[in-house]
Amino acid sequence: MLSRHAQSLYWIGRYLERAGHICRLLRLQSEALVDRPVREIHFGWNRIYNSIGTQPMGGQADLFGDEEFALADSFTLADDLTFERGNPSSVFSCFSEGRENARHTRHCISPEVWTCLNTSYLDLQQQDMAAVWRSDPRAFYNDTVSVINTFGGLTETTMYHDEGWSFLQLGRYIERAQASVGLLLSHIDTGESSESQEFYEADWISLLRVYHALEVYNHIHSAEVVPGQVLDLLVSDPLLPESLSRSINLAASEIDVIGRGPRRHSSRAVQRLTGRLSSMINNEWPDRDDHIDMLREVSEFCGELHYLVTAAYFEYPIQERPPGQ
Amino acid sequence: MDFEGYNLDPAVYDEMFLTDGAPREHARHVYDALIRMSAEELTTVQGRVNRTFSSESISFTVYGDAEAEERIIPVDPIPRVLTAADWQGVSDGLKQRVRALNYFLEDVYSEGRIIDDGVIPEDMVRGCPQYRPEMRDFAPPNGTWVAVCGSDVVRTNDGFQVLEDNLRVPSGVSYMIANRKSAKASLPRLYRSSRVQEVEQYGATLHTTLAELAPGGKSNPVIALLTPGVYNSAYYEHMFLAREIGAELVEGRDLAVRNGVVYMRTTGGLERVDVIYRRVDDDFIDPLVFRPDSLLGVPGLIDAAQLGNVTLANAPGTGVADDKSVYAYVPDMVRYYLGQEPILANVETFLCRRPEDLEYTLDNMANLVVKRVGESGGYGMIIGPHSTQEERDDYAKVLRADPAGFISQPVLDLSSSPCLIDGKFEPRHVDLRPFILTGRQTRIVPGAFCRVALRRGSIVVNSSQGGGGKDVWVLEDPDQAQNAGS
Repeated sequence: MLSRHAQSLYWIGRYLERAGHICRLLRLQSEALVDRPVREIHFGWNRIYNSIGTQPMGGQADLFGDEEFALADSFTLADDLTFERGNPSSVFSCFSEGRENARHTRHCISPEVWTCLNTSYLDLQQQDMAAVWRSDPRAFYNDTVSVINTFGGLTETTMYHDEGWSFLQLGRYIERAQASVGLLLSHIDTGESSESQEFYEADWISLLRVYHALEVYNHIHSAEVVPGQVLDLLVSDPLLPESLSRSINLAASEIDVIGRGPRRHSSRAVQRLTGRLSSMINNEWPDRDDHIDMLREVSEFCGELHYLVTAAYFEYPIQERPPGQ
Repeated sequence: MDFEGYNLDPAVYDEMFLTDGAPREHARHVYDALIRMSAEELTTVQGRVNRTFSSESISFTVYGDAEAEERIIPVDPIPRVLTAADWQGVSDGLKQRVRALNYFLEDVYSEGRIIDDGVIPEDMVRGCPQYRPEMRDFAPPNGTWVAVCGSDVVRTNDGFQVLEDNLRVPSGVSYMIANRKSAKASLPRLYRSSRVQEVEQYGATLHTTLAELAPGGKSNPVIALLTPGVYNSAYYEHMFLAREIGAELVEGRDLAVRNGVVYMRTTGGLERVDVIYRRVDDDFIDPLVFRPDSLLGVPGLIDAAQLGNVTLANAPGTGVADDKSVYAYVPDMVRYYLGQEPILANVETFLCRRPEDLEYTLDNMANLVVKRVGESGGYGMIIGPHSTQEERDDYAKVLRADPAGFISQPVLDLSSSPCLIDGKFEPRHVDLRPFILTGRQTRIVPGAFCRVALRRGSIVVNSSQGGGGKDVWVLEDPDQAQNAGS
């Protein structure tokens, strides 16, 4: 398939995954606003911003700030992460970019997938934070997550599972792995950078909830939250839908299906790196105790994987000799 | 809902009604169904149709003062009904015309017999900005310069006439198909009982046409559709057609020419392309030959076509034959090349390059449409009866400075068709753009993009000027249907 189309499909996967990730974090925040202490709410905001590598306007939220400003601050931050056109990580921007890439490749995706993306984008365009805030923010994020789940399901059930489909899935898995490791590191860093550095069990519980892993954790480990065990579950459990291990394994298997690109050394580099990543997570993780350093390395490797895929399949130099000459 | 208040103008041919207000025989079935429906039902249908267009983003892009904007063409749900006999005349006439136009292009880019024989002035052809001397002696497969033609046909009380031929990169066919799809969804029972000829085979017919034009008669050629990209006004159509014909949708940056052969950059490496259905204008298609600043084209593409390694459909240089002055000579071309009388008439055209036509145009501007020969899309023209004296005076100055750059035509009473406007039936002017495909033979799908001038009294149907669209139902031939049944 055309490299440019493969690249657009890959980006559709990435942007929609990113939108879903932010939405799930925002859903959690909107729940916390109802009954959680200000410290925990602000911890949540800082964790989100750290994980996407930016700062909120006005800097990090003060964990022990005033109760009375907590709601106003949260409104501003939620708006920034949801509707702000100028914030490339906002849910709206992700939808907008995902749809833009889909516009370039409408003939490669099914009409159902297009309509799902297009109508949800048009819906978002009509909404604003004030209206969401007045009604039910949690329901809004829930609905948006649902749309993204529907999108995933539609790619599965209405698209031909050819190379283009594999690139779309690859985009999702690479994004998922990167977002996941980013969130874990951000969680640890945000905790360490706070003044008290006290252990707050609630923060780890909320982390488990982002991954739909709280019940699983309780089932396996009982209700006592031990950070090391949480990390083990979120990183290396191959049965947890969004664990790092599962994302990396899925990305690796898509790369296997896609096969060799036109430049042998580039595609070999892609395969070597996915091999290295999956060996780190699947084999080395249980036996090593430098887990935070490992996560930092994994984060770097995920970024590198993106560049290697781009060079191997999408943006290889066109001065290559034509086939058979 | 009844047709009360539906104003029939005797000067205008109405597609549904006779001048006495009785429905035309062939439209009676649709008429009966419409009057049985309530206003609410019709409005619901209209809303549903337009929402489908919006949620699927069946859109085009308009360029204005601000940035490019995605717009949906408003769709009117009431079909325009044509008899099989009407259609036969239009179809035969257009096929004849396209054959003559292909001969004309072959001729003017080689011997120029039609010029030597004094049928058409040389400077009008060779002086036309769309005449491409670079294409001299070019020999496209099968002599097909124009593989896809979209001609604008209008109907008046005098019958059907061709208003213009679009021979470069005609668009609108996706609306023919989308309008049909929405008509079937919104009026399913009426559609079924009306016995309408299908248009959904357009994609397959286009594919056959393009495949027939493969270099050296190659079987199973690799076909690509070359688009200027997502910001082009017709991008939706490019995407739609690429999908219909199973072609790769490429942009200039996806293609490269090596040793006179065209390749596209795929995830598996460079892959050879045999036929390019190009929707990029001549000017931009190859920076080595035409505009050097073009980023949309592919350096070396013309060379590859001239070597016979790739087919470009349409061939570069076809614009000379749809120039608004050259248009006036198409009936002569039909006589000259085919030895036949034209089946479809032209609209009477005054060429302002001729002193007597210029004088006539200046004297009668208030009753004429004056157009720039090089413009399209409803730009650069003035409609006499809808203009002020001041506008006409300004326009006359421009016209006098460059008479050869203008033509004029009488203001046509385009036929009207009932449209649903604010919950009522009102007549609106319409035209018809069928698409004529030429590979080894010339084919035409029985349908068209029908453009509607949605503003009351307006005769400008261009989408960029606020026009809408509606479906065209070409009925089955009742005789043939009977024979098939017996």
